[in-house]
Amino acid sequence: MSCNPYMPVPAILEKVIQETSNIKTFLVRPAKPLVFKAGQFVELTVPGTGEAPFTPSSSPAESEKIELTIMRVGKVTEKLHALKPGAELAVRGPLGQPYPLAKYHGKEILIVGGGVGLAPLRALLFALLEEVDKYKKIIVRYGARTPADIVYRKAVEESWGRKDLDVMITVDKSDADWKGNEGVVTTILGPKKLTCNPGEGVAVVCGPPIMMKFATLEILKLGYAPENIYLSMEKNMSCGIGKCGHCRLGPYYACKDGPVFTYDRVKNLNKIWD
Amino acid sequence: MMYKLDITRLDDFLSAISTGRDVFALEESAGQYHLTRADSWQPGRHTLGAFRQVEPLKTLVFRPREFLGEIGRSRPEAVMPERIVIGVKNCDLSALKIHDHVFLNTEPADPLYREAREKTIIISCDCSAAREVCFCPAVGEQPYPKAGFDINISPTEHGYLVEAGSARGRQLLEKAGKFLAAADDALLKERDRNRRELTRKVCAQAEQNGLACGADLRRAVEKSQGGKIWDDFALDCVECGACNLICCTCHCFLLADGESKNKAFARVKQWDACLYKNFAAVAGGANPRRHRAERLYNRFEKKFSFFPEILGIYACDGCGRCVEACTGKIDIRKVLGRAVHEL
Repeated sequence: MSCNPYMPVPAILEKVIQETSNIKTFLVRPAKPLVFKAGQFVELTVPGTGEAPFTPSSSPAESEKIELTIMRVGKVTEKLHALKPGAELAVRGPLGQPYPLAKYHGKEILIVGGGVGLAPLRALLFALLEEVDKYKKIIVRYGARTPADIVYRKAVEESWGRKDLDVMITVDKSDADWKGNEGVVTTILGPKKLTCNPGEGVAVVCGPPIMMKFATLEILKLGYAPENIYLSMEKNMSCGIGKCGHCRLGPYYACKDGPVFTYDRVKNLNKIWD
Repeated sequence: MMYKLDITRLDDFLSAISTGRDVFALEESAGQYHLTRADSWQPGRHTLGAFRQVEPLKTLVFRPREFLGEIGRSRPEAVMPERIVIGVKNCDLSALKIHDHVFLNTEPADPLYREAREKTIIISCDCSAAREVCFCPAVGEQPYPKAGFDINISPTEHGYLVEAGSARGRQLLEKAGKFLAAADDALLKERDRNRRELTRKVCAQAEQNGLACGADLRRAVEKSQGGKIWDDFALDCVECGACNLICCTCHCFLLADGESKNKAFARVKQWDACLYKNFAAVAGGANPRRHRAERLYNRFEKKFSFFPEILGIYACDGCGRCVEACTGKIDIRKVLGRAVHEL
C-alpha cells in the first residue's frame, strides 16, 4: 500500500561515520529520492525494532542520499549504532514544517547549537550557504561537552577560516590541546564574543532542552524578538502526521506544526523545556 | 422528508436495508447492550437498544489493532466487506467528528480509517432511556442525533419516525419504501416531546452527580492547570488507561514494529493511552508529563481545551463509559464539576 502514510520506503545504510564516542553519522540511500527542506524531519526505521524521528544533517539539495547524525540514547538508536554498511533500513518523510527561509532573506542569522543539536542546524547551514548572498550575515555559536564531543569536527574547524561565516565553538570542559573558549554555550553569546544585530536578525536554536532554555533566555536578553527566535521542540513524534497524539504541545502537534516553533508561539505553554 | 414506520414492520425494514452487508447490531445482556457482528439483522436477537452499548463505536472504524503492512513490501489489498451498524446512539456518532478530523480531514488521510468509514453505513437511533452515568447535555450534546447518520430512527409509542441524513441513507429508504409512509405532525410532536423529556432527565442526573449543564468546561479545565484538584484525583488513578481505551473519542495510537506471520518485519497501529507513564517520553529520557497528576490533567486538557481550540468542540460526548471503566472510581462528572466550582 504505497499510499499508506504510516509505512516507510526501504533504504540502505551506505556509510557510517563515527563522530564522537556516542554519536555517528549514517549515510542512508532511500529506494526513492527523499526531497526535504531544512528543518523537516524523517522517521527512520530499524526493521523489527521500530522507528524514531531524526532531522537530516545533510544538504537539502541532495535527495538521493541523506545523512543522519544520531546519538545512541534509546532502543532504536542502540540497534542503529550496531549496524554496518549494507544494512537494510527504511525511512518515512519528509515530515513537519521547514525553516521559513524566505523570511530570513536580507537578515542576519544567528545559529546556536548544542551537542548533537548541530545536526539539523548543519542542514540549515547547507541551505543558507547555497544562497549565501541573500543573507546579511551568518553567525554560528556551538557548544559541546568536551573537544572529543564536537560533531563534524573537521568541517567545523575548517569553517573557522571562512569569510562568510562567523563561527565560534565552546566546550564545557577543555583538554590540554583545546585553544578555544571554555564554558557553556551562553558564555559565547555575550557582547564580548558576539557582535550581532538583534533588531534585524533571527536566531535559530537546537540542542538539549536545558541548553535550549538558557540559550533562549540569553538570546532574549540580547534583544531578539520572541517571534524571531526559532526553536526545535522535539517531542515524542511517532506517526509524524498529527494523528497518534504523542507529541502534543498545547494546541500544536510538534510533528505537524513543528518541530521548529518560534518562541512566541510556545512561551506560554506548560513544560516546553521538558 | 420524515417517514413513519409501523412498529410491527421494524424487523422487515431493517432486514431489507441491511441485506448484502455485514451487520453490526446490539444485543441485550444483563441490562447492557453489546455490539456484535452477524450476517443479517436477526429479529429477537437484535435490538435498537434504549441507550448506548458497552463498546465504543470507534472499534469499527479505528480498530484496537490494525495491521499496516510489512516493511519493504506492499500490503496485500484486503478488501473490507460492506457493513451496516444499527442502533448507534448520539454520543458515539458525535465522537466520529473527532476521528474524522484526525484521520480523514487532517492530511494525509488514514487509508484504513477512510476505507472503514466509506464501507460502514450508520443507522442511528434516539435514546429512549439513559444509563446512570450518562451526561451528554452537560457537554453540549443531547440523547438523539442531529447529523452524521445515514438513517436515524426515533422510537415513539405510535411508531418509528425515520429520516435520512445522507444521500446513501436516502437511497436505502427508497429501496425500503414499501415499509414507509409519510410521517404526520402528531408523530413528529411525540418524538420532540420524548427528546425534550429525556434531555431534561439526563441533564438533571448530570447535575445530581456534580455537573450542571451549560458550564464553561473549557475555561474551568484551563484554569485548573497545576491545581490541587489533579493531585487529589491522581491519588485514585492507577494508570490503567481504561478511560482512554473505552472512550468514544480518544484517538491516540502507537505504531509498533515486530515480526509478521511471514517472518517479515511488520508494523501495526494499536490504541495507546495518554495515562501511561511513557506516553510522551522521548528516548533521551525527557518526559513532559512525568507525574500522574500531569497526565490526568492532560487527558482533560486534550478534551476540553485542545479540541475546542482546533475544532470548536469538546472531545467528550458524555457517554459515561469512563465512569464505569475506571478502576480507581474517578468520575469525570465530579472532576469537571469541581473544576467548574473552583473557577
